[in-house]
Amino acid sequence: MTTPVLTPIADLTARFPGSVTKDERAGYSGFLVAKENLLEVAAAIRDEFGYDLLTAVTGVDYLAENKMEVVYHAYKTTGGPGLVFKVQVDRIDPVTVPSLVNIWPGVDFQEREAWDLLGIKFDGHPDLRRILMWEGYQGHPLRKDWKEPFFEEEVKPFKSRWPDGKHVFAEEKNPFRDNLNFPKNFDPDAYQPEAEKDLYSSLERFTLKSESGLKTDQIVVNMGPHHPSTHGVLRVAVTLEGETIMGLKPVMGYLHRNHDKIGERCTFLQILPYTDRLDYFNSMSNNFGYVITVEKLMKIPVAERAEYIRVIMAELSRIQNHLIFIGMLLNDLGTMYTPSLYAFEERELILDIFEAVSGARMMCNYFRFGGVVRDIPEDVMQKIKGLVQDRLPAKTDEMDRFLSENEVLVGRLKGVHVINAEDAAKFSVTGPVLRAAGVPYDLRRADPYGIYDRFDFDVAVRTHGDMMDNFLIRFDEIRQSLRILEQALKQIPQGPINSQKPQYQVRVPAGEAYGRIESPKGELAYYVVSNGKPNPYRYHVRPPSFVNLTAIEHICRGTKIQDFVALLAMLDIVMGELDR
Amino acid sequence: MLLEYIAIAVMIAVATLIAGIAIGLGELFGPKKASAAKSMPYESGMNPYGEGTRRMPVRFYLIAVLFILFDIEVVFLLPWAITFRKLGLFGLIEMAIFIVILLIGYVYAWGKGALEWE
Amino acid sequence: MSFWINPLKVAADWLEGLLTGWGLDPTLAHVLVAFLGVMLLIVILMVIDIFLVWIERKTVARFQDRLGPNRLGPFGLIQPFADIIKLIIKEDTTPGGADKVVYNLAPILSMMSVLVVWAVVPLAPVMLGVDLNVGVLFLIAAGAIGTLSIIMAGWSSNNKFALIGGFRQVAVMVAFEIPMLTMLMIPTILAGSMNMNDIIQAQGGRWFFLLSPLGALIFLIAAIAELGRAPFDLAEGESELVAGFNIEYSGMKFGMFYAGELLHAMTFGGIWAILFFGGYRFFGLELVSPFLAIPIFLAKALIGYWIIMWVKYTMMRIRIDQMLIFNWVFLTPLSFVLLMVTALLNVLLRDASTWVYAVSMFASNLLVGWIALEVARSMSKKERTKGEGNSLSLRRGVG
Repeated sequence: MTTPVLTPIADLTARFPGSVTKDERAGYSGFLVAKENLLEVAAAIRDEFGYDLLTAVTGVDYLAENKMEVVYHAYKTTGGPGLVFKVQVDRIDPVTVPSLVNIWPGVDFQEREAWDLLGIKFDGHPDLRRILMWEGYQGHPLRKDWKEPFFEEEVKPFKSRWPDGKHVFAEEKNPFRDNLNFPKNFDPDAYQPEAEKDLYSSLERFTLKSESGLKTDQIVVNMGPHHPSTHGVLRVAVTLEGETIMGLKPVMGYLHRNHDKIGERCTFLQILPYTDRLDYFNSMSNNFGYVITVEKLMKIPVAERAEYIRVIMAELSRIQNHLIFIGMLLNDLGTMYTPSLYAFEERELILDIFEAVSGARMMCNYFRFGGVVRDIPEDVMQKIKGLVQDRLPAKTDEMDRFLSENEVLVGRLKGVHVINAEDAAKFSVTGPVLRAAGVPYDLRRADPYGIYDRFDFDVAVRTHGDMMDNFLIRFDEIRQSLRILEQALKQIPQGPINSQKPQYQVRVPAGEAYGRIESPKGELAYYVVSNGKPNPYRYHVRPPSFVNLTAIEHICRGTKIQDFVALLAMLDIVMGELDR
Repeated sequence: MLLEYIAIAVMIAVATLIAGIAIGLGELFGPKKASAAKSMPYESGMNPYGEGTRRMPVRFYLIAVLFILFDIEVVFLLPWAITFRKLGLFGLIEMAIFIVILLIGYVYAWGKGALEWE
Repeated sequence: MSFWINPLKVAADWLEGLLTGWGLDPTLAHVLVAFLGVMLLIVILMVIDIFLVWIERKTVARFQDRLGPNRLGPFGLIQPFADIIKLIIKEDTTPGGADKVVYNLAPILSMMSVLVVWAVVPLAPVMLGVDLNVGVLFLIAAGAIGTLSIIMAGWSSNNKFALIGGFRQVAVMVAFEIPMLTMLMIPTILAGSMNMNDIIQAQGGRWFFLLSPLGALIFLIAAIAELGRAPFDLAEGESELVAGFNIEYSGMKFGMFYAGELLHAMTFGGIWAILFFGGYRFFGLELVSPFLAIPIFLAKALIGYWIIMWVKYTMMRIRIDQMLIFNWVFLTPLSFVLLMVTALLNVLLRDASTWVYAVSMFASNLLVGWIALEVARSMSKKERTKGEGNSLSLRRGVG
């Protein structure tokens, strides 16, 4: 067990007197950087202070102060605490902030998201288009003065429904069969969606030029949203020359529901079930990330037994996620479901455990601030032990043996480059993809949360960064998770499962918190700002799928279309958290 | 002899007929509700951008040319294969020479990179 | 001649007698009877085809640890009929901008090309269908119509996925036709004839599989590629091309492609059995009655079909460049070498005893296969170490 070297947080104010000040607001941390000096300060943070991984960029709309704030969270791939720096600008349109895309290319999508939802223009961003909302959408929904259709009140619980109980179903307002209304001169059969000029012109701008000298026809093909291998409703507009991908642009937002806005309307506890729906394969991990963020704000301890239960659930979740990954990757390689069904068989056993402890197989809603909601029954504990000690190790070895020596699989995966270590860090790629590229960056070790510092395990690392390594590292991680689980099952104490009283409404003091965990797909982080009210003032999710996808263009340009499908699978995206 | 080919012609006619009838049944019993959106070519649910029928990438032509090279070779080999027993060693050597000549073409194509995709 | 020994002849004679008795011209009666025979064959094939749907679904389910269709009828046997009814009452859509004639002709040709193959397939010693002296060539010709139907479907659909799928399928089919044709020549050399029945007759005592195991294997590989089944299912390429060339087809038109593919797979199983496993031969049982010979042949065909399924549902798809290299640099030269070795041994051992001949043929096949594998192994090792650098240099440019 090694603990990472704790480097003192860099003193930016001494390095840039005048242009950088400490954030002095109660409950806040980090530095405020003047807008004019942002590029200079950011370059220094990366090069001089060594924060090579900018994990999150988001904005906060402080309507009362008439300010718009952009918050950056930078970390080191060698581990240790992060550096928070912010830029505040006046809330007068157009709100502009310099883009950091040349310093950390990984901010690309996140800046586009901030532009889309908050209306912050990033100067110097090469492709600043809407990302989650569609082309031609009016307004920026995360601004505090923006109101959705059927707007009732700012925050839940809505007065009309509580405490008098006069709630109305949406179906009653809009009865079925009559709820589909078209504008007067609109014929749905003749409807032609508007041409997406911005998308296709941007695609053309970023397309490689043919080198062979032959004048070959380039075809623009839309892969998705309705496509079997884009893992949901991701759409990728691809320019093909024969079989080679010359350019591509991912288009997302088909599953967008503005999770952030829903969160800001809800109370702190009400958000919890919504987090289940982010990465719907790993609701346990999603819960975990959210509760440790709010616990940071509330400054409450976690019950000892609950800490162990949390680790057990998170690691089981990681195992089943990787099982799905392996199965679905092979599907994308064209195995017609055979390996994936065997992988699903093991996953079902883990879901049985989730069902036994939380009552739901996928949408668990199991964690609470200060602990978990229910204890693990003794028979379920025995079941987990049987699974962890006998069944899963054997099955993992079996799958490994059958799959990773298959000649066709090796031929398809080996030597097909995904991303190298330098680029991975640049594009803020986290999780197994980063580790397969050779960077041993695992939050459980680099910036331990919960009780992960008590366990003896290795961070799974591979060195080549090709598809084969990306594939094999999932087996490594399953094995390490099993190691952690075995220790956790041995050490778990008896006792209460929550340090707090049963909760319905929690009081969260004002301030901000950034909590992050190593979700199976990468760094899952939540940025929550509270102003002391029952609802969060700002609630932001930094989903690993979304940020990892930033690198897709870099990864896939110049590959064959058959590899593209596998490379997309390598990033292990899930639309629930990508579109939010 | 010719009668056998008549039987094959009958076979082709009947097979076409049966397949046609099967498709006709679909036409007969299936609903017909055409709409603009339905007649749009499938492109993952989006509006197609650009034409659907384009020129083939040149790679495929290369494969076709290679195919012709070898197919002709095989066509010449077939009669030899039947009369092979009668021709004996002489026929074998002659065929070996023929194959070697084609081998030169094959090696040339390989060297030019026609056998690789990139 | 009793019905038990030669049912078709008896039935045909009876029918012809009946028809001429009614005053029909004898030639016309002959053609009419032949027509009825063809009808019977096709109807039987269609019925088999329907059950192939069930067989495939059930077998795959077992491969995948599932039950498969089990609701409709005993063991879900009625399921394929439900499938057909469903396909019939589906709407037939034609994409706008499609070439209507070509588009509608493609599924018909796809089905027809498979059915026609059965014209030359000998089902039993006395049931030869059409006894062509160039039967083997006919197989290839009929198969080429299938290729044509796929490029027609891909081109006429006015769909990019279909177009790419069509290109790919033709590239695969055209490429693997060479080793397949070459391997067809091995039974031809061994039997000294291209007639299918002669090839079966020549396998008395020893199946050609024993003389040329490598030839049988290469033929199977080429057949799988020709079928467009995994690992060569680039044309359907579900994960990237959704369904490939048949993406725009719905209802019965899709059904024709689907049924055609299944029947094609079983047909190749049958051809494999004829060429290398003695067709309807099984220890003289086939001579007792056609009622025994046909099940023997069908069983062998189904075993071949089962192997094709087994490969399909365990293998992943190879990449198009790998397919090309595999065929042109490995399989095609190997098949030519094997052909020449077979020819050479046949010339040299013309007068040797059967045992010496058979053993040396078998051993030479193994040797050629082993050498080829060793060469391929060392080549691919070199390629792979080189490839790691290559794939890096491809990735460059903006961003």
